[in-house]
Amino acid sequence: MDEQALDAIISAYDSPSGRLLGILGDIQNTHRYIPRESLEMLSWKLDIPLSQLYSVVTFYSFFTLIPIGEHRITVCMGTACHVKGAGEILKNLEKLLGFPEGITEEQRSPVTTKDNVFTLEIARCFGACSIAPVLKVDNTLYGYAKAEDVPGILEEYGWKKDDY
Amino acid sequence: MTPEIVSVTEELLKKTPHPVTVIIDGRTCRANEGEIILEVAIRERIEIPHLCYEASLSPYGACRLCMVEFMRRGRMEMATSCTLRAEEGLEVITDSPKILSHRRMILELYLAEAPRSEVIKELAKKYGVTKTRFFKKIDKEDPLGNKCILCGLCVRVCNEIIGASVMSFVNRGPYTVVSTPFLEENTACLGCMACAAVCPTHAIEIGNLGAERTMVSWGKTQVKLRKCPQCGRYFAPESLSDEVYAKIDPPLTEDIRDICPECRSSNIAHAEISAASGRR
Amino acid sequence: MPNEILVRKNRGLKKIQPDIPRITVGLATCGAAIGATAVYDRLKERIRERNLEVILVPTGCIGYCREEPIVAIAHPKKPLVLLHRVTPDDVDDILDAVSLGTVPFEKALCRIEGWNHLMGCNLNYGRGFEDIPLYDDIPFFGHQKKVILRDAGLINPEDIDEFLAVGGYSAAWQALSSMNSDAVLEEVEKSGLRGRGGAGFPAGLKWRITKEKVNEKKYLICNADEGDPGAYMNRNEMESDPHMLIEGMILGAYAMDISEGLIYIRAEYPLAIRRLKHAIKEAKECGILGKNIFGTDFFFDIQIATGAGAFVCGESTALVASIEGRTGRPTPRPPRLTDSGLWGRPTDLNNVETWCNVPVIIKNGSDWYKSIGAPKNAGTKVFSLVGDVERVGLVEVPLGTTLNTIVFDIGNGSSDGKDVKAVQTGGPSGGCIPRRLFDTTVDFESLAKIGSIMGSGGIVVMDEDTNMVDIARYFISFATGESCGKCIPCREGLKHTLILLNKILGGKATPEDLDTLKSLSETIVETSLCGLGNSAPNPVLTTLAYFREEYDALVKS
Repeated sequence: MDEQALDAIISAYDSPSGRLLGILGDIQNTHRYIPRESLEMLSWKLDIPLSQLYSVVTFYSFFTLIPIGEHRITVCMGTACHVKGAGEILKNLEKLLGFPEGITEEQRSPVTTKDNVFTLEIARCFGACSIAPVLKVDNTLYGYAKAEDVPGILEEYGWKKDDY
Repeated sequence: MTPEIVSVTEELLKKTPHPVTVIIDGRTCRANEGEIILEVAIRERIEIPHLCYEASLSPYGACRLCMVEFMRRGRMEMATSCTLRAEEGLEVITDSPKILSHRRMILELYLAEAPRSEVIKELAKKYGVTKTRFFKKIDKEDPLGNKCILCGLCVRVCNEIIGASVMSFVNRGPYTVVSTPFLEENTACLGCMACAAVCPTHAIEIGNLGAERTMVSWGKTQVKLRKCPQCGRYFAPESLSDEVYAKIDPPLTEDIRDICPECRSSNIAHAEISAASGRR
Repeated sequence: MPNEILVRKNRGLKKIQPDIPRITVGLATCGAAIGATAVYDRLKERIRERNLEVILVPTGCIGYCREEPIVAIAHPKKPLVLLHRVTPDDVDDILDAVSLGTVPFEKALCRIEGWNHLMGCNLNYGRGFEDIPLYDDIPFFGHQKKVILRDAGLINPEDIDEFLAVGGYSAAWQALSSMNSDAVLEEVEKSGLRGRGGAGFPAGLKWRITKEKVNEKKYLICNADEGDPGAYMNRNEMESDPHMLIEGMILGAYAMDISEGLIYIRAEYPLAIRRLKHAIKEAKECGILGKNIFGTDFFFDIQIATGAGAFVCGESTALVASIEGRTGRPTPRPPRLTDSGLWGRPTDLNNVETWCNVPVIIKNGSDWYKSIGAPKNAGTKVFSLVGDVERVGLVEVPLGTTLNTIVFDIGNGSSDGKDVKAVQTGGPSGGCIPRRLFDTTVDFESLAKIGSIMGSGGIVVMDEDTNMVDIARYFISFATGESCGKCIPCREGLKHTLILLNKILGGKATPEDLDTLKSLSETIVETSLCGLGNSAPNPVLTTLAYFREEYDALVKS
């Protein structure tokens, strides 16, 4: 990330309240992850120790230090979605994208296909519980999703059977 | 300023201490109003196990071992004694069956989390816990030797007292570890070893070999040591001593600044003796 | 009221009840996700192509989520008619009917002849369309009492004119022009309003304590972190009626002599964030927020701070840490937030819905407010009724309503004709309640007595096929992933609880394991540092208490 772009992001926050998480969120939205260099630059610009920034970035689920694939698939594992069968949707996605070990639910680390096209992760609730189970791909929400819908949805983003 | 520092400051600015009486395990004890009960107990030699409390830092409340029962509005409640404050007539029980039962369960959790820590094993044994029902966390590559209990003392001391902020909590929940940024060496380290001094389970590994001090647990950070021109020993980290010396005004003279403490005392002693014998 | 604002208000009234037909589409997150945006776009396109004299406006969500997308038609002097399950293919039929002065009866859900917006605005729509059921005769709606959701789905949340038209900001005006700050505080105290985030602490008392910190810089914060899976009441409140929240915060700031407010909102709510930012901007433009509110010398500004995916940041001290740019690790209390909160200053923290209750209390008085609900549980509460229930949606009822009423009269029981087995209330901090206890009233005390809590208002219905041990495992898995990791009972205790539950579900557990499960859960409850740990084992403890046979069946003897 170039310094000018980072300065522009920082200058949008004139109050310290909410500033750090806001800046990190903006960096993440720009690059789809938080590059190490940005974090180091931010450390000397804001005069915050790098260890503290690293602690914050690794604490919050939203931030990732590893690049996200082209398409980000998030399966909601909220209570309503769980009760309505989100587990089946997740299993199907893991199978079709070639992640046989599955994603650790507790750890919530996203997994990305080797060709960097699809990233799969889980979320704990989008607040769209009335249309459970919910699947999100990039900025589109799919409500009342079923495991059988998954191939069709993936195909919208260029997936083909046996790709993985 | 973090809220912790604000509240510690408020502590220091409090008005004249006002004496009160508290009752701990049936024993009447004198205390100052607002004093931390754990401190009162330590002073009175009433044993309450604790791992994350450090008098020079604000109470953290992480280890949960210092929990006690106390009477509030006719009901017994539980609280950590490091955050419970003395007030007139406060009744505290440190070893009720309920407290002991929870304490033992927590010690089982510690045995599973830091299975190589002798300190934990000793502490657990004191309360009758010699084994744990839970899966032990063993990682052969653990830079903290499977002894870390995540009490936060090293992080807080390095951050708030030393000001170097070398390490921090990384990740969250059961995946939390204490480490340097990106788990690599961190040149911000002054090599002061305050972290090791304050660690309750002696988890932090440091190697002192000749010209360098290696902070093995902190990404194997190498810290250059200062060599005494007089005796040739390596005695203090360069970066640390430079930082400390920079704060001294007027600055130290060369004969004191570059010499190791032993040589300094011996030089001063020789000078005194020479002066004294010279005077006679 | 200042003239410029009255001008806008009148403009708003003409927008809501124009001389030509007005069509609205419910566009909150869920509606948008299942096709309402497509419906809106198609309507816009066809209205233009057909050159029709029709106003098209987006609204928030009226709460009947199962029937989304919902489109409302208001012909001048005719009842407001709600259409349900609308698809883009219905658009031409809708416009055909509208251009003939009528509505497509096959798509009609109900009609509204008049609506009291409770802020001094009672809208009369008109008579007609008698074949369409009345709003009150629809069981989902008829058992509800809309106070907080009075505007949701009926006004455009992105237009302050419409909010003003239905009486919005009249309470703030009343307070700033004719009440002193003590009077506002007293009214809230007398109302008995209790925190709607779950703890149920008397709001007036918290405000009083904060107010007494005179000559000190103070903050007020709105907790919009709504992390409970299954709960989305706050999201709807912010997406459908954002100005209502702002008005509540203005009143609180005035009562407590505070000039800076923050809304801490989870990053998973982008539409709510957008609508709030827009509403704040509009309010400032009208002189209702910022300097010289309503021309008085009262100053109050609101800032938005976003979360980053941590459920624990719904806990007060963790929330404050997050705003300060630190990790969301709770700190022990004392000190309380009202003594030392944001940046070490006295801070009042209240949930979105708590703030939203304040304008109606000031406008209608504490006596009116106390007449709703139950003793010591005044007012209404919004619940999200989700899971294996037929009529999924947001339900607002007076406190003291029973679970039976909510699950069966309003929700109509299970969605596939199966039997309802249990409900989970209070999210991950709550517990599972078996069907036989559904005569329990929903309030701050009664659910706690049977091991659960009301919490922020999520109610997840589970049918006879639900494996309750799996549900317990689900919640512990959630809590383990969201634990901040600071204290060992929560950090390691929950991890081992999960291992035990997996062992039980795998058929490999012994009876001793069940004993360990119970005593470990009890230790976590009693010794954890914060509310997350204190309550995370509740689903285990309640399922052990009420569904023991399911555990026993899985255990080797």
